[in-house]
Amino acid sequence: MTLSPTQRRGLIGAALLSAVLIAIGVLATYFGSRYQIRIVYGAYVNLLVVIGLQIFMGNARITNLSHSAFMGIGAYVAAICVTPAATKAISLPAAPFGLNAFSLDPVTSAIIAIAITALITALVGLFIVRMTPIGATIASLAVLVIIHSIFLFRTDIFKGNQAFFGIPQVFSLTSIIVVAVIVVVLARGFRESRWGVQLRASADDETGAAAMGVNVARLRLIAWILSGIVLAIAGISYAYFLGTISARPFYFNHVFLTLAMLILGGMRTVTGAVLGTFVISFGLEVVRWLETGPVVVGIDLPEVLGLSGVVLGLVIVLTMAFRPQGIMGDREIEDIFSKTK
Amino acid sequence: MEYILQQFINALSFGAEYALLALGLAIVFSVMGLVNFAHGEVIAIGGYTMVAFATLVTANPWIIILGSVVAAALTSVLLERVAFRPVRYADPTTGLLTAFGVSIVLQNLFLLFVSPRPIAVTSLYFLDVPVDLFGIRISSLQLFETLATLVVIVALTLFLKRTIWGLAMQGASLDFQMVRLMGIRANRVFALAFLISGLLAGLACIFIMARRGSVDPHLGFNPVLMAFVACVVGGFGSLPGAVLGGFLLGIVQVAMLVLLPQEYGGMKDAFVFGIIALILVWRPNGILSPPVEKGDKV
Repeated sequence: MTLSPTQRRGLIGAALLSAVLIAIGVLATYFGSRYQIRIVYGAYVNLLVVIGLQIFMGNARITNLSHSAFMGIGAYVAAICVTPAATKAISLPAAPFGLNAFSLDPVTSAIIAIAITALITALVGLFIVRMTPIGATIASLAVLVIIHSIFLFRTDIFKGNQAFFGIPQVFSLTSIIVVAVIVVVLARGFRESRWGVQLRASADDETGAAAMGVNVARLRLIAWILSGIVLAIAGISYAYFLGTISARPFYFNHVFLTLAMLILGGMRTVTGAVLGTFVISFGLEVVRWLETGPVVVGIDLPEVLGLSGVVLGLVIVLTMAFRPQGIMGDREIEDIFSKTK
Repeated sequence: MEYILQQFINALSFGAEYALLALGLAIVFSVMGLVNFAHGEVIAIGGYTMVAFATLVTANPWIIILGSVVAAALTSVLLERVAFRPVRYADPTTGLLTAFGVSIVLQNLFLLFVSPRPIAVTSLYFLDVPVDLFGIRISSLQLFETLATLVVIVALTLFLKRTIWGLAMQGASLDFQMVRLMGIRANRVFALAFLISGLLAGLACIFIMARRGSVDPHLGFNPVLMAFVACVVGGFGSLPGAVLGGFLLGIVQVAMLVLLPQEYGGMKDAFVFGIIALILVWRPNGILSPPVEKGDKV
């Protein structure tokens, strides 16, 4: 297989990003407390979500608002498969189809979760990809609400807003770093692939690209399903580490949080997705600490609930006003080091 | 028969409220292509103004109502100046995300400076009394709501068809550059659109507050979601579409409440949004959207 120059640059970029991801992970493993490791893990889960979002949004340039719901599907399917039957007999006594009478090993569960999520995204995608960009965004909002109501309504399967507990802890920080590296390479590979280039061309000029023989709907569908798979992986990683899940984290708040990350970093590039995730994840931790009213250099700051929300909203508004392309714009990480294209 | 009539009036008044909300979104969208998700927070500002007036200024409900409508209108205009002007000519997605951002900021400011808990407002209870009409019992609020929406529709139509500024706004939705060449100031057209949208938000706020009797930071979220849905169904940017969508949504919601068996009550939203998604599959741009060729210069 011969690679084009941009694809070779893509490989270098993916390697550089992977190095950054591994470095942050190593630092956290050696110097972080248990609590800090949890935060770093959370940041990596969000990273997976944001990259999953970038695969569709960045290449097709259609805003998707349903991603957290697909993450939720992945998390719930994996959780239902992997939780021991004894625990499920207590937590889901009324589950239909014998869902509480079996349990599988983590790998099989993850594969089933990815397959089911991919199937559902494919079905939804068939409709989404044919709409105009703004119509697709709105339809994705409808999808988010529908899936969330199902989570809340079928308490016999999903337990709604209550905790679905007893999921064995399978993942550690190391495993999610490995997953994140794979996903980054995948996302970058897609972006520079024939499909990725054609899709980005269709986002710039849909009619023009179609006239050149690009099957826009098909490419959007491919990106949409790939994005769904990555979101499922994010959901699985979330469930496999925390041990409990509920429907609440897969709704509007999470949608906006991850969207803000992608927008700040720049949705057109994978580097932007990574940068935005880490800036907001760690920035919000600082703000949350300020929110509790700590004592800084002798000054006792007041408790300010809602500060993190204000900051998050301001990040979105200011990015849109002053740098709608995000921090990275069209530049990937390797473009920072070598200016020539 | 009476039951059907009763439910029909329910659908009508729900629909009127959604239409009122949807018009507020549609008028801004038609002029600048912005899906103003912060509309709900403008409504919440109206609600908080009621609280402030009722506790600090006066107990006279009419002054409280006036104050909240004025506050909502001013907030809307202020938001245009501060937040939406930089993204004025950007694509709809940029505008949508900005509006989401503004909405998050405002919600959290309420949380920060007022209170996360609901605050009761009792001064509007007098609007809600039971009335007997042709043998069926309805709330006066439903009547007021439907009437207010009808008045708004007539007034808005007259304004858009008979005044220069109304024509300018209609023109702006088609070809903004041309409107500016005719000597109309762009800033004023935008400010006017947001002013009208704010007034509509204030009006909707009165009815929402009269029904709920309390205000909390997330007051605006559900109404704006419903307005958004109504706009989508009717065709974004089309004012008749917003009205049609609003009433249609009211009918679908009441129909779901009546037709769905009791145990599926929790799935109401899923069904409503499912119907919305299907309408979008049928008409991707909404029912009353103007036909646009993909190659058209927008």
